[in-house]
Amino acid sequence: MYALVDCNNFFVSCERVFRPQLEGKAVVVLSNNDGCVVARSNESKAMGIKMGTPFYQVKDMVKAGRLIACSSNYTLYGDLSSRVMSILADTVPKIEIYSIDEAFLCMDGIPPDRIREICAGLVKRVRKWVGIPVSIGIAPTKTLAKIASHFAKRYPGYKGVCQIDDDEKRLKALSLTPVREVWGIGRRLAVKMEDCGIRTALDYVGRPPEWVKEHFMLHGMKTWMELNGRVSVEEERPEKRKSICTSRSFAEMIADRAELASRVADFAAKCAAKLREEGSAAQQVTVFLYTNRFRNDLPQYFPTVSIRLPVAANSTQEILSSALKGLDLIYRPEYLYKKAGVMVEDLVDADAVQLPIFDYDLGLRHRRDRISEVMDRLNSSGHNVVRLAAQRTGDYTDVVRSGFRSRRYSTSLDDIIEVK
Amino acid sequence: MYNPEDKTDGLLPPMAAEGIHAGFPSPAQDYMNPCIDLNKELVRHPAATFYGRVVGDSMIDAGVEEGDILVIDRSIEASEGDMCVCFVDGEFTLKYISFRDPSPGAGNARKDDGRLWLVPANDSYPVITVTDASSFTVWGVVTYIIKKSYRK
Repeated sequence: MYALVDCNNFFVSCERVFRPQLEGKAVVVLSNNDGCVVARSNESKAMGIKMGTPFYQVKDMVKAGRLIACSSNYTLYGDLSSRVMSILADTVPKIEIYSIDEAFLCMDGIPPDRIREICAGLVKRVRKWVGIPVSIGIAPTKTLAKIASHFAKRYPGYKGVCQIDDDEKRLKALSLTPVREVWGIGRRLAVKMEDCGIRTALDYVGRPPEWVKEHFMLHGMKTWMELNGRVSVEEERPEKRKSICTSRSFAEMIADRAELASRVADFAAKCAAKLREEGSAAQQVTVFLYTNRFRNDLPQYFPTVSIRLPVAANSTQEILSSALKGLDLIYRPEYLYKKAGVMVEDLVDADAVQLPIFDYDLGLRHRRDRISEVMDRLNSSGHNVVRLAAQRTGDYTDVVRSGFRSRRYSTSLDDIIEVK
Repeated sequence: MYNPEDKTDGLLPPMAAEGIHAGFPSPAQDYMNPCIDLNKELVRHPAATFYGRVVGDSMIDAGVEEGDILVIDRSIEASEGDMCVCFVDGEFTLKYISFRDPSPGAGNARKDDGRLWLVPANDSYPVITVTDASSFTVWGVVTYIIKKSYRK
């Protein structure tokens, strides 16, 4: 048995924990740079606001006081997410964190008659301890658990927990689920299925397996089996990432090389710190630039360059100097840039880095590693206290526009709630 | 100037030196403990613990002053006499919570009619009677109050 725990309207719910006055109000959370809507309260969903709506289209409602907009506050969401996940991990033997607001609980070894009760307890506990409402779907496969969680979320009668534990309930749930809402069926696949006359998940499981295999290959077959109650989606192993990317859109367009270089240096430093955090080293550094693709009146340019490193590295100096080398190769002064990024790729275990036999200054490497270590410790407050001269002064996050960001209530002592 | 070869940085917790020793081992070796971790002492439920800063003087007679830091544990079920952070009328307020009517002559019995009272520790503030549970929440129970006494 699997249980899928899904936080309801997670970003909005996070904002409400520290601003309970937002309860019952139409609230949206905006993407980086306040670009578009990325989370909606039930009330704003009911007003017809769609996911991805550009902010300017709802600006008037905000001005009129009918809608409350929050800039995204990922520090806050990340902290509350880890609190939720730690409660889940303390309750069941195994969890797989699927995204910032979703986790699969593996219920193997728990007596079947206790699963529902445990899940009901979790709904209450997460709500009370962290303040976040969650919905839980219980079923024999992950794909069905996901469907069950939709029902738990949609119908208050379930009190947050819906279990699909027999065939009657399974077929009923499948008949009520449009095929495009099934986990693992993307938009393109859904269109193809609808062209074949498949509207609901029940229509899909009604097709013979040979037909499914012929039209939708192995991937479609896995989903078909899962919907039939047979586990076919393997465990997602927490593998080391293959690449790490740090990129940002700028609030203003930038043409100046030196200004761009300081941004790229920041992104490179951030990538290097992430590499060290997870004990990896990169063999390749990629730099990319974007002009503003929404400005048809301006010339467009989207260059990318990759630089191989002689030896896999994770020190700020090495990653940063490669990134700046890359920038010099692609920078053209005649364009206005809206976005830049640095990607470190071909990651290997930092402890297993192959060193060349000749011409390698091991002492220099050790000194660089020591400097990086000290930088990490001094920067662990989350602010760039220590940086290389090529980087910008101040927090690089301030390039992001966030006119309505709430405080970092749970992670910064200067931002905690005030109590009268 | 920072020298990367310098190994003494003073930022690490005290640890018994383990390296290679010739001769008699230090008798203190077996008695080394990691330093006191206030996080561990003051925070029993990390997932449910948040902090707040005191504004105003409504709890002054309980020794709680403006600027004090509150350790708030949301996992605790509030009971009679607990100091709580509550959300009433659009703001967070710090009060003792009571399920007994504190007004004179009301008797000392616990009311089970859903009413509760928020009692300040300052005579110039009124007791708040909560009758409508829909616009009120106990946000968390205060477990510790951190106060700075050094004036610099």
